[in-house]
Amino acid sequence: MTDDRAHTDGGTATEDETTGRPVATSGRLRGLVGAARSPLALDLGVYATYAVAIGFFVFPVLWVASASLRPPGELFSYPFRLLPAEVSLSAYRRVFRAGMVTWLFNSILVTVIGVASIVVVSVPAAYAFSRFEFRGRRGLLGIVLLFQMISPVIIIVPLYTVMSTLGLLRTRVGLVLLYVGIQTPFSIWLLKGYFDTVPMELDYAARIDGCNRLQTLRHVLLRPVAPGIAVVAIFNTVLTWSEFVLAFTVLGSESALHTISIGVYKFQGQYGNDWRAIAAASIVGMLPLVIVFLGLQRYFVKGLIEGSLKGE
Amino acid sequence: MATDGGVGERIRWSLGSVWRRLLDHPLPWLVPTLLALAVFQFYPMIQAVWMSFTDESLVRPTVDFVGLQQYVRLATDPVFWEMLEVTAIYAFSSVVLHVLAGLVLALAIDYGVRRGLRGHLTTRVSVLLAWIVPGIIIGLVWKVMLVESRFGAVNHLLGTLGVGPVPFRSDPTFALVSTIVAGTWRGTAFSMIMIYGGLQRVPRRLYEAARVDGAGRLARFRHVTLPQIKSVVFITTVLVTIYALNTFDLIFALTGGGPGRATQVLALFMYQEAFQDYALGRGAAIAVVMLVANLLLTGAYLYAFDVSEEI
Repeated sequence: MTDDRAHTDGGTATEDETTGRPVATSGRLRGLVGAARSPLALDLGVYATYAVAIGFFVFPVLWVASASLRPPGELFSYPFRLLPAEVSLSAYRRVFRAGMVTWLFNSILVTVIGVASIVVVSVPAAYAFSRFEFRGRRGLLGIVLLFQMISPVIIIVPLYTVMSTLGLLRTRVGLVLLYVGIQTPFSIWLLKGYFDTVPMELDYAARIDGCNRLQTLRHVLLRPVAPGIAVVAIFNTVLTWSEFVLAFTVLGSESALHTISIGVYKFQGQYGNDWRAIAAASIVGMLPLVIVFLGLQRYFVKGLIEGSLKGE
Repeated sequence: MATDGGVGERIRWSLGSVWRRLLDHPLPWLVPTLLALAVFQFYPMIQAVWMSFTDESLVRPTVDFVGLQQYVRLATDPVFWEMLEVTAIYAFSSVVLHVLAGLVLALAIDYGVRRGLRGHLTTRVSVLLAWIVPGIIIGLVWKVMLVESRFGAVNHLLGTLGVGPVPFRSDPTFALVSTIVAGTWRGTAFSMIMIYGGLQRVPRRLYEAARVDGAGRLARFRHVTLPQIKSVVFITTVLVTIYALNTFDLIFALTGGGPGRATQVLALFMYQEAFQDYALGRGAAIAVVMLVANLLLTGAYLYAFDVSEEI
């Protein structure tokens, strides 16, 4: 990492040296800050950073994918190779026989219903925080922020007794309700930001046309805040799909209720050193999210930034 | 008939007006949220504090108030201090690595976008890819990467350099390093995106002005970029610290806290006390320690916003 800093220094030095030389500058780049002169060393340093980053962040996933596709025994053969000599789906067969279809089904169920519930609960709340002036509004917003900052891991012990009292242990409904409680604060903050950017004049106009507040929300405000709802939905999909500790605690030991994270975790406990099978289980567990992500990665970026910078 | 219609109309009108009056009050809009937060966040938080003053256990029917006993026990337990140390090392190294790697990548991508270099989008997508992989699966991915024989991917690469095989998960020090590396693999995306967002908000005219004044690239970085992204870097640092302190799933899957207790961070320690030893009271006391740490950091986060608003 310090490498790049060194390149930055080097870049400044070469910049002065190259000042006199004619530098190829494409018209597209002319006028962009810092593009008038071309410090080659800095470019190379940045390319090197890209290469190291892509290698570090992608290689593990590729390696696991490759390991999962090998025939029994080939993972530990010599010489070492990244691409398997022969493709075999036997590891996947093993994972699916262990109950992967059930886990996938449960994860999809919990994620779809959970995310829909989170949106349904947080949109009206965000509307209220954006459109009403009432006593205690700031305080309540502060509490919502506080809940967002505090990790559910911390309250897992009392949550267990709460769920037990409510008869929600070992139920998927209970898990969905729990996700609503845990994940709405973030969604409210993010959505409130979107509501705040919509001018109040739209509300007034709808009011004059005879809409009540619910009609105003449905027919007038929903369209401008739709991008925010998309960000909230996608972001919560990732959180819900990946969540482990709450699901592990609430769903207990009954395999028929397990979500993908629990299923995969238990599976690796059972098949200790079968690295091919563990690799296959990992790939199946991440694949749905990876597909969603590759299609919609712009929204993830928005969610990350906007969900964390409440001061804006 | 005509009067009937009139009455119906009037009833419908007054119902509509009640409905409208109801919708003009913020409470109906907030009720589902308030209920969910009260049941699943507020009450459990209060309950955690209460439980930490008791000896509640899953295997005993009676609950006694024991005052500060759980805390005294924690404070005098050398194991607790060990956990605290492991957590501090894990959190500190994670924060340094995440923020540094995130800063370098954000600058590299920002530079690439402005210069029209190839590969900045691929880099961004690669880093984010690691972030969306479920925590449990990240633990397993690294378990597969770090297989301790010469057939493990990392050990093989090291082998070609004449090093190893390294006991990545069975040696206490290497195990902790492995969890930190796996954590960085996941967490860098967050810092990168946050700091990249901060870079986009630096007003372009500041750079123009600095150039007119004859500032070179390094001078512009030091006197324009750094002061402008200072608050976003601070906020990122606080958030990353909170995430790192609460890490559970990744370590749970990668090392399970072992070997021995070498990678047992507070969250794992708490989980084990509560759900493997059934000592809910003791688990709650650890939870309160974590809660205090989180609250202090949240305070720092809010303070950062006040500061950045004044600027």
